[in-house]
Amino acid sequence: MKQRALWSALIAAALAVAGCGSATRTDTPSGDPQQKQRKLVVWDWKSGEPAAATYIEQAKADFAKRHPEVTVEFVAQPFDQYYTLLGTAIQAGKGPDVMLFNGGGQIRDRAGALLPLDEYVAGDKSRLAGWEAFSKDGKVYAAPVTLQGHPIYYNKALYEKAGLDPAAPPKTWDELVTGCAAIKKATGAACFALGNKEGFGIQFFLSGLGSGILTPREYDDWIAGKRDWDSPNVRRVFELWKQTGDKGLNNDGANSTAMFSDVFTVFETGKAAHIIGLMSDVGHWNDFAEFLPPDKIGVMTAPVVTEGATPSLPYDGGIGYAVAKWTKDPALAADLVRSLTSTGALTAFYQKAGAIASDTTIDVTQAGPAVAAIASEIKTGRPALHVALSSKTLDLMGRLSQQLLSGSTTVDKAVEQLAASDRKG
Amino acid sequence: MRAERLAPYVLVAPAVLIIVALRLWPLALGVNFSFTGDGDLNGTPVGLGNYLELAADPLFRVSLRNVGLLVLLLPVAVAIPGLLATFIYLRVPGHRVYRSVYFFPAVLSPVIVGAIFNLLLGYDGPLNSLLAAFGAGPVDWLGDPGIAMFTVTGVHIWATFGMALVVFLAGFSTLDATLLDAARVDGASLARTIWHVIIPSLTRTIQFVFVTTMIGMLTSMFGLLFVMTSGGPEGSTYLPEYYIWHQQGQMNRPALASAASTVLFVVMLVVGLLQITLLRRTGRQD
Repeated sequence: MKQRALWSALIAAALAVAGCGSATRTDTPSGDPQQKQRKLVVWDWKSGEPAAATYIEQAKADFAKRHPEVTVEFVAQPFDQYYTLLGTAIQAGKGPDVMLFNGGGQIRDRAGALLPLDEYVAGDKSRLAGWEAFSKDGKVYAAPVTLQGHPIYYNKALYEKAGLDPAAPPKTWDELVTGCAAIKKATGAACFALGNKEGFGIQFFLSGLGSGILTPREYDDWIAGKRDWDSPNVRRVFELWKQTGDKGLNNDGANSTAMFSDVFTVFETGKAAHIIGLMSDVGHWNDFAEFLPPDKIGVMTAPVVTEGATPSLPYDGGIGYAVAKWTKDPALAADLVRSLTSTGALTAFYQKAGAIASDTTIDVTQAGPAVAAIASEIKTGRPALHVALSSKTLDLMGRLSQQLLSGSTTVDKAVEQLAASDRKG
Repeated sequence: MRAERLAPYVLVAPAVLIIVALRLWPLALGVNFSFTGDGDLNGTPVGLGNYLELAADPLFRVSLRNVGLLVLLLPVAVAIPGLLATFIYLRVPGHRVYRSVYFFPAVLSPVIVGAIFNLLLGYDGPLNSLLAAFGAGPVDWLGDPGIAMFTVTGVHIWATFGMALVVFLAGFSTLDATLLDAARVDGASLARTIWHVIIPSLTRTIQFVFVTTMIGMLTSMFGLLFVMTSGGPEGSTYLPEYYIWHQQGQMNRPALASAASTVLFVVMLVVGLLQITLLRRTGRQD
């Protein structure tokens, strides 16, 4: 007995000493393109949803017209586990030929495993919007399917009850706070519906309100990677965040309210007047419509905090399809990506799933005033601020934002830590 | 003659091969992998880099501290089923009903349990409404970093104590009833009966429950954490398992996750060896 225990300890010690370097392959052999590929495997978390069925059918049909001999298999993975599974596939150097990605950090962190698509998608560059979120170091790694952004939605019914003009939402932060006080008095509703259980609330806040806080110059620098964390305006974002908590502008228990499952209910049921929501997937005009009639949902631009700031709609490519480096026939896989972003397929996606598709040629005027308001701002819109940050910094920002709300850290300390994390990259 | 000497090795070979190929070899690969880098450094040796990063990461330190907290809460997790089993054994009114009621949560998956308690413990949930009826202020059960870990551990104990209860009841069936009768004749109070008769007779059972509860707490709280807190608020409910999943799946740092796994493995090894020693020592006493 004693010996056995000793043995297991010895084995563990030996393992700890023996492990030095050399684990995974850094390169995968590029296959022989001459050998005809008959099957493409696609990984995503969308194709299993009934709302996306027509989209997938359309894309498949489009692809089959050009490559009737190739079969395409869609494997829908659960989103919770998606990047874990994908990480394993990337480590192994084999897996799907084409895969779905969220824009921003999720794809940039994994760009090493992907094929640059520039030469294949050149023809789609002007028709589709949102390429920036799928690019790294000047190369495009995925074609955008939807646009994801953070419009500020407001409940027109609550505005009416409080005697405010629902057609003229507040233009400045002070107006917003005054209006919210009136709404609170008349209806008891909070100013913002905020769900920060996972630390996502701050990302929405930063991007949703950022264009009203940073000057245009600061905004562009931020996106370009020259982020000045010492700037008083960057500090102001986190001061305002803390203020919304301290002054009771958020719904109660924001740190234990889940972003996707709970917070949209808070807004839909009229417990809060505003929400920084999404444009696609969930938490948008089409989602709210279940409880709030479309004519009661307004979309406003970010209230101006800093003089000279020019509010704009923050958006990026939402989800997009990329091609794995290890695929046998890159041109074939890239062609499937083109089918998945064809106008016909994307129109089906927009109509059935209620997403704002990346294709700027789709006509959205019939879907109600909120969509029309969003669509009209796509042209002047700019990339969202939080998308430019690394997933590590975002993770840290989530925890710091919870500390700011609970009062266990100060704005100075939070900004200092974020600056350090951001500089490390 | 020679074949006879080889026979034992041939006979244990399948078991040994399975353990080596499916357990030890992957373990060795994992440990080896933890000495390499992530991202651009994928595959290049970085020495102890990942371990130094872990030591400097406040989040990982929180997760280890929470392991310590769980060890401290272990007596509570053992005392609850022990006490309830005692009541059932002493035939409190309705003990048959309680026996099945107590066991019921053990058959629910952590995800379902987590979802139920998310609703019950929400800031505007029923528990806070109940507190308000008594004039107590609302408690942010899952949003207050000082409370959330206790909340999740409490829910975990609620969800899993049924199993320990069954083990205790099995232990009680070996208890010498004449001792209890003697205590009763001597007029011993309930507390004294528990302390002087029941606990000494059940030492082996209590130790077994200690070991299994410990393992359960350290290895199977992931589901609850995932559903109830996502490691938050402020990272206060991280456990090593959750940290590993987070680094590998969300942060795309598989090598760092391997290093954290190795640390967790060593922690479990130490805890396991301590428990083996403890069990062996008491085994000798009997």
